[in-house]
Amino acid sequence: MPIAKVNGVEIEFEPGMTVLQVAELAGEEIPRFCYHERLSIAGNCRMCLVEVKPGPPKPQASCALPAADKQEIFTNTPMVKKAREGVMEFLLINHPLDCPICDQGGECDLQDEAMGYGRDDSRYVENKRAVEEKFMGPLIKTTMTRCIQCTRCVRFATEIAGVSDLGLIGRGEDAEITTYLEQAVASELSGNLADICPVGALTHKPWAFNYRPWELKKTESVDVMDALGSAIRVDARGPEVMRILPRVNEAINEEWLADKSRYAVDGLMRQRLDRPYVRVGGKLVEATWAQAFAAVAGKIKATAPDRIGVIAGDLSAAEEMKAALDLFTALGVKSIDCRQDGSALHPKWGRESYLFNSTIQGIEDADAIMLIGTNPRIEAPLVNARIRKRWIRGDVLVGVVGEQADLTFPYTYLGAGVDSLKRFVDHGPIQKEKPIFILGAGAFARPDGAAILAMAAEAAGSMGLVKDGWNGFNVLHTAASRVGGLDMGFVPAEGGKTALQMVEKGGADVLFLLGADEIDLGQTDAFVIYMGSHGDAGAHRADVVLPGAAYTEKPGLYVNTEGRTQMAERAIFPKGEAKEDWTILRALSDELGARLPYDTIEQLRDKLITDHPTFGQIDYAPGHASAAAFDLMAVGEKGETTDAPFVSPVKDFYLTNPIARASRTMAECSSLHAGASKMAAE
Amino acid sequence: MFIKRIFTWWNGATFGALLTIAQRGRYVGEDDFGSKYYEAKTIRDGDAGRRRRWVIYKGYAEPSKVPAEWHGWLHHTFVEPPTVAPLKVRAFETEHLPNLTGTRFAWRPRGSLTRGGHRPAATGDYEAWKPE
Amino acid sequence: MVGILEDKDRIFLNLYGFHDWSLEAAKKRGAWNATPDMIALGRDWVTGQIKNSGLRGRGGAGFGTGLKWTFMPKEVKEGKPHYLVVNADESEPGTCKDREIMRHDPHLLIEGCLLASFAMQAHTCFVYLRGEYVREREILEMAVKEAYEAKLIGKGNIHGWDFDLVVHHGAGAYICGEETALLESLEGKKGQPRLKPPFPAGAGVYGCPTTVNNVESIAVVGTILRRGADWFAGFGRPNNTGTKLMCISGHVNKPCNVEEAMSIPMKQLLEEHCGGIRGGWGNLKAVIPGGSSVRMIPAHEAETALMDFDSLSALKSGLGTAAVIVMDQSTDLIRAIARISYFYKHESCGQCTPCREGTGWMWRVMERMASGQADPKEIDMLLEVTTQVEGHTICALGDAAAWPIQGLFRHFRPEVEARIASYRSGKPHVQGVTLVAAE
Repeated sequence: MPIAKVNGVEIEFEPGMTVLQVAELAGEEIPRFCYHERLSIAGNCRMCLVEVKPGPPKPQASCALPAADKQEIFTNTPMVKKAREGVMEFLLINHPLDCPICDQGGECDLQDEAMGYGRDDSRYVENKRAVEEKFMGPLIKTTMTRCIQCTRCVRFATEIAGVSDLGLIGRGEDAEITTYLEQAVASELSGNLADICPVGALTHKPWAFNYRPWELKKTESVDVMDALGSAIRVDARGPEVMRILPRVNEAINEEWLADKSRYAVDGLMRQRLDRPYVRVGGKLVEATWAQAFAAVAGKIKATAPDRIGVIAGDLSAAEEMKAALDLFTALGVKSIDCRQDGSALHPKWGRESYLFNSTIQGIEDADAIMLIGTNPRIEAPLVNARIRKRWIRGDVLVGVVGEQADLTFPYTYLGAGVDSLKRFVDHGPIQKEKPIFILGAGAFARPDGAAILAMAAEAAGSMGLVKDGWNGFNVLHTAASRVGGLDMGFVPAEGGKTALQMVEKGGADVLFLLGADEIDLGQTDAFVIYMGSHGDAGAHRADVVLPGAAYTEKPGLYVNTEGRTQMAERAIFPKGEAKEDWTILRALSDELGARLPYDTIEQLRDKLITDHPTFGQIDYAPGHASAAAFDLMAVGEKGETTDAPFVSPVKDFYLTNPIARASRTMAECSSLHAGASKMAAE
Repeated sequence: MFIKRIFTWWNGATFGALLTIAQRGRYVGEDDFGSKYYEAKTIRDGDAGRRRRWVIYKGYAEPSKVPAEWHGWLHHTFVEPPTVAPLKVRAFETEHLPNLTGTRFAWRPRGSLTRGGHRPAATGDYEAWKPE
Repeated sequence: MVGILEDKDRIFLNLYGFHDWSLEAAKKRGAWNATPDMIALGRDWVTGQIKNSGLRGRGGAGFGTGLKWTFMPKEVKEGKPHYLVVNADESEPGTCKDREIMRHDPHLLIEGCLLASFAMQAHTCFVYLRGEYVREREILEMAVKEAYEAKLIGKGNIHGWDFDLVVHHGAGAYICGEETALLESLEGKKGQPRLKPPFPAGAGVYGCPTTVNNVESIAVVGTILRRGADWFAGFGRPNNTGTKLMCISGHVNKPCNVEEAMSIPMKQLLEEHCGGIRGGWGNLKAVIPGGSSVRMIPAHEAETALMDFDSLSALKSGLGTAAVIVMDQSTDLIRAIARISYFYKHESCGQCTPCREGTGWMWRVMERMASGQADPKEIDMLLEVTTQVEGHTICALGDAAAWPIQGLFRHFRPEVEARIASYRSGKPHVQGVTLVAAE
């Protein structure tokens, strides 16, 4: 390995690293604005200047300079100090210095680096430049006068998000970042623009002037808005979640986050269930916990177990599902289901049959990608970003069976439905090393889902997707709770009904919903008990409402689509009289005379892990570990299929769950996206 | 005390400042708080082409003690000092007060515990769902 | 005799457009003569001759042309064709040499393109033409058409080296004369300089090995090969050889464009070709010897300066494009430099910080100095700002913006100080009343 000297200290580095990376390796911090690890190198802020020997007698931009063997790098010489001071002064002369009213204040790169590398005073006595504000949609607030033209946002939009809505126009002093036509940034990842902006030019519009970063309590947690389980940090002030930011997790979200996960936080403060309700005389009236429990217990005790149904929703943590599973199984209930979308996935075909086996990071190794019945851009924007990242690197086949949507990268359209998939059943091995299928709910969440699943598995077997060291059979879920539910067997027991059968007319006499809001309750004539955090479809139909906690208000285990168990932490407390969901079930079990054998969440988790060891493997995704034991031919059930096209179950990216539906920001995004409201610059 | 006068600028002007003002300055006037105002007799390089103006506070040096009319003169907004061209006092104007932040006269918002008020219990920070 | 160069040694025989530019006439003047023979001698011979001739790039930086050609990969890789790009984006204030070549001797350029492309194994050459050069484009395109029709270039031409020449008309931005910005612009992107490395010889236009040469550097290639490297190397001082087009403008009696031998004394150039300074040599105040981007030199240094790279850089100036801007005693130098600063402020691409922010700052301070409304302390501050810009940018525009100001204060600082003092004493400087700006 080549060796360079950084300030006289020798350091080995990998060939191909830049001088900046080598200096970081040696522990020398180099100030930068335009350089970002995940974006292309622009080299235009000139803040990272260092002195390099051998080389010309002037400072070099370290972010763009490849390091060479026997190179000497200096970051502390007078020349470097002067260069940094000079660049910092230039950046500040046209910067408004309005830190006291700037939302970036306190977490601003320019502030920090001006502190570290700037001059103590200003010599600029001319008038400062002012730049007109731009309109970038309901999520991004602009204060373009603060912009230092680092072009990170332009590079993010074009490279990662795949939309060419942003650009730098004008030249010289008059250069401006703009959306060209004063339109919203048409990306599901637009919130990241505010994150990567090193100054306060792009900030989060929904959170403008709401908080200062230093007054927030930060809790590291896991996102539940899609099935990826992106790493997030919940920033709360007192009883209110002020914002959600991504954390770095290379395996899932890198350092990005989808807009829904980020901006649905205002939904946590609206439409909250904060006290129990019981329906009396056709109207829901406020009740105490005792009254509510009495109503629930009376009804359940009076009903035969085979007339009781339990459905888990999309945001449920594993703990409450386990508690519900244990409780109702003990009562002899068989109709238990976590698949409220009617999907055909079932744990009996092996865990691999419902996991994203190649892992999300594995997409980057794939050389042929087929999307079946899924639109990852709205179902899991970060998976889409990964596929785009892979596509940018080149030499990859991307095919789509299903909807012909704009995925931000070009693909080969292979057909709309079952017929197109059928062609691949006896396709034979594909001439690629690491091909993958990504199977979406559009394919398996339909009446003939099991047959389609069997067909897809057969095609995967024929094309050689599963082999030693590689498992390319991927299922992309849309709900955070689903894999956890399948892992613990939250599916109908022998003779039980599925979720869709339960809500049919006469399907059940008592329905217990754990935050299940996406299922049509229009037909059922059952007594509905709804336990959840938000007043949405379920609560409206319910006969008893038990107020639970939202995902920021309880500790919980979530298993993402890869089968990766992750732990969410409590950032704030539940609202009003609401309780953490598993404690409600624990209390209810007393009333029902079938006391659950755990008093603390630790005991509950112990039980969960004992029964289902996969929950104990925190942050571990199996990937292709069990590829050899995976029998593709056993997946699904062969049968009749209809020729209806595959349609993604996610109709509106911004409104997929009760929290998002309660959020004003999401409603605004949704209507803007639908073109219902006129776009206008303020 | 003597050392304080030399090195601290907040216990009255330092001797350096007094010396400069004595040499270069011309007494102009005094405000209601007793602070004295001076103007340079000459323009030197670095004075940005205008006569420097000084204030020597009476007591603790607190810039917000300078009343509006003198503040304008001190910052070269007005050519003439208020002793020559007094500002018209309008009916809605109140007495000038120095910045009281940090003193016990500081303004406290309604409900502040230091004002002796009672803060309402935190109930309204989320919107509860109500069945229709 | 006038000047040093004899008529028989001139390369650009139709510099003034007294004759026809067409292929027929150009052939009579020697263009396209023996080109197939030169190609038959092989590319190493061509490159060797250019190296031996000591030809240094005529675009301003003065990098050895032959040496530059050798940076191209020796073998053409599959899918990575080589390209020659001719920089005809001549926008340097004061410079008008390439324009005359394209107007009046386009066939010398086309021939040079063929030979240079052959030497670098390029089959395609782009000529990136300045946006404002509309007539030049018309003539160049007609000349290219003639050459195609005469089978001098194109597929299966008489020289046996398939060669296409594309004339690309730019949109008129000074920065597109910078080689990497030119490549960006040529690719259809925004004209902003690229980071180097990679250098164009490794990854240039469309990511393929590319050499960017000035029009004059390419146009002289044919004649150098015909008459031999030694002939060309016989002019001028060592390391500064050959003949050069010089453009003299400003306060001389007869501003002109002239081909002269390198290292001609500046005084001789001005006296003999331009009819002397307006009002005599004693009326000379300062000379900007190489286009607006280099530092000016005062009259007493101009007395002894030679028009070549080394002599002028010893005077902390540069030959640049040999566009001599002469300013006599009536010139308001401060106003002139302020105007040049405005030019750089206007033409900065806005990509990197020091240039984007610094050029505007320098211009504003210069404007105030031109009218005297500045503080004497600001002179040192301004000089420090120029050093903060210089050498800290991606391309050389930052340097070019800093040098004229540095040149002014190096030689004429008392004048600026006097102007500020006079403003302060109540006698503001009014342009046109006390002094006259350079036209």
